[in-house]
Amino acid sequence: MSKRRGSREQRAVSAGPLDVEGHPLDTQMPQPPMPPGAAELADRPSRTLWGDAWTRLKKNKLAIIGLAWVIVVVILTLSADLWVPRYFADPTSTEFGSLIKPTFPDHPFGTDRIGRDVFSRVVYGARVSLAVGILAVGISLVLGLILGALSGYYGGFIDTMVMRTADIFFAFPYMLFTIALLAVLGPSFQNVFIAIGILGWPSIARVFRSSILSVKENEYVDAARAMGASDWRIMVRHILPNAIAPITVYATMSVGGAILTEAALTFLGMGVQPPTPAWGAMLDDARSLILPAPWLTIFPGFAILTTVLAFVLMGDGLRDALDVKMKD
Amino acid sequence: MALLEVTGLRTQFFTRDGVVKAVDGVSFELEQGKTLAIVGESGSGKSVTALSLMRLIQEPQGRVVEGGVNLGGQDVLKMSDTAIRAMRGNRIAMIFQDPMTSLNPVFRVGYQIGEALRVHKGMNRKRAFDRAVEMLDLVGIPNAAHRAKDYPHQFSGGMRQRAMIAMALACDPDILIADEPTTALDVTIQAQILELMVELQQREGTAIIMITHDLGVVADMANDVMVMYGGKQVEYGVADDVFYRPLHPYTWGLLDSLPRHDISAKGELCPIKGQPPSLIDIPSGCAFHPRCPYAKEICRTTVPALVEIEPGHSSACHFSGDPAFRRDQVACSADMEAN
Repeated sequence: MSKRRGSREQRAVSAGPLDVEGHPLDTQMPQPPMPPGAAELADRPSRTLWGDAWTRLKKNKLAIIGLAWVIVVVILTLSADLWVPRYFADPTSTEFGSLIKPTFPDHPFGTDRIGRDVFSRVVYGARVSLAVGILAVGISLVLGLILGALSGYYGGFIDTMVMRTADIFFAFPYMLFTIALLAVLGPSFQNVFIAIGILGWPSIARVFRSSILSVKENEYVDAARAMGASDWRIMVRHILPNAIAPITVYATMSVGGAILTEAALTFLGMGVQPPTPAWGAMLDDARSLILPAPWLTIFPGFAILTTVLAFVLMGDGLRDALDVKMKD
Repeated sequence: MALLEVTGLRTQFFTRDGVVKAVDGVSFELEQGKTLAIVGESGSGKSVTALSLMRLIQEPQGRVVEGGVNLGGQDVLKMSDTAIRAMRGNRIAMIFQDPMTSLNPVFRVGYQIGEALRVHKGMNRKRAFDRAVEMLDLVGIPNAAHRAKDYPHQFSGGMRQRAMIAMALACDPDILIADEPTTALDVTIQAQILELMVELQQREGTAIIMITHDLGVVADMANDVMVMYGGKQVEYGVADDVFYRPLHPYTWGLLDSLPRHDISAKGELCPIKGQPPSLIDIPSGCAFHPRCPYAKEICRTTVPALVEIEPGHSSACHFSGDPAFRRDQVACSADMEAN
């Protein structure tokens, strides 16, 4: 089908005789001359930025491993209610018959000091980590994108205000700032992601602002304005889709960062409170038993490591995939 | 009454280095269906003039400080933001210089052409797209229905400029401003694009403001020509007058720097010596005097006014009133004849 259309198009182009200046002599509008093969080229399926990016991402093994691991973790933890309590144990139920025991196969990751199943807690702990990671980055994104967009698009006083506020946020040591914020809000699951989210916006705003600054210099933005588009339309339709690529990369990596921060805060007792299973809390719980019962720290630690790494690898792959300069 | 009347337009940019007088007292008229060419070197204020007409000057750095832009009885400079948006793209549309960057890479061409129709005519997506296909067909894109679904990077430069023209004309505007529409294109494509514009102008009755530094481009299509230098009008008149009886030494210089085949010129081209002036620090008197071979003392001290020398033909030179001060005397073309 596509071949047929290509040849017809070529015939149509070469049909009319051309005068010296290359204009067709017939009554039709002047047609742009097509190099041979241009018609076939035109028949390729339309490629988009994201389509291209996916093609390149697929070639990046590490990124795909990261993506696969994230998908596995998501599926395991979301389906946990269906199989974990039945075949292993409820994450909060205690079994006083087996305290701190590496009892394979009943408890594949062993039991902790009050007889809870470590495997079950690791699987359920992913819920807290993923939820905090995604919700925190979501909050950062909403704040960062809005403020970054205002800053980059309008410039001037708004820009100064937003960017100086961001500088103030950057000036505080990140971990101390989160702990201080949690001390005010009180430690709980929702306060953890709120705190991490609020503190995450300055980076997103900065990246987005710089991205917008370069995109808005493009002539198609002027063209849209000359066409009568409103500020909102220009922002949402013309600037945003072209400026969002670097944000996707940054946000993906930030999910990993947020998971790590959540684990650290929970480890310090500022985060998710017991008995909710959380990886950071499990490490905290087991830290005095690290030598006699290493399985208590190895498994949740490994879960944090691999999940954070998976998000970072994914982000890294996305960066390469979205970089048009690396197009072959 | 003329379709568009611009009087005493002054646009300035306020930078750290000083005030840039990008457009300094420009007046002209445009009749329906006619073409006005604005000619000048880079930085002479051509594009800023055009952007001022559409109120597209970036505030607060830049501002139209004075003047009137009368579009069919309404002063564009006094319109509300809503009214100005309803005017842009609908009554005055614009084509930009570089077709490679004027189309948004993330949207299909047909969707972008239809955008103006959705904004101004309230069409739905489907109808706007159908109309976009018609427009693409009109500007000579083969297989328009198929190509409308393509992304801009799948179009060649010439096709993109055609698409830009389709986009600009989609709402059937009264005035089309073309800011160096062919500068970024191959010479063969240039001719096609100009021809297309003339043809569409005849069909739709659109008035065109053609901004260019290439006199060759405007020779065929312009009715009126306005020559700008240093943000000021230096010569303004009917195209034939400006081309065949140019009054201002700067216009002579522009014409002399064009390659010509009708003069047996074995010699070199005659470029205007020196650089265009910085618009922050415009030379005293006539802005052109440091580069003008005929400059006298008065040129250094007094700004020449734009004076109508012949009916419908004005020049801003102290000596244009002297019938003996004409282009024939230009030393450089005399040299060329001698060769």
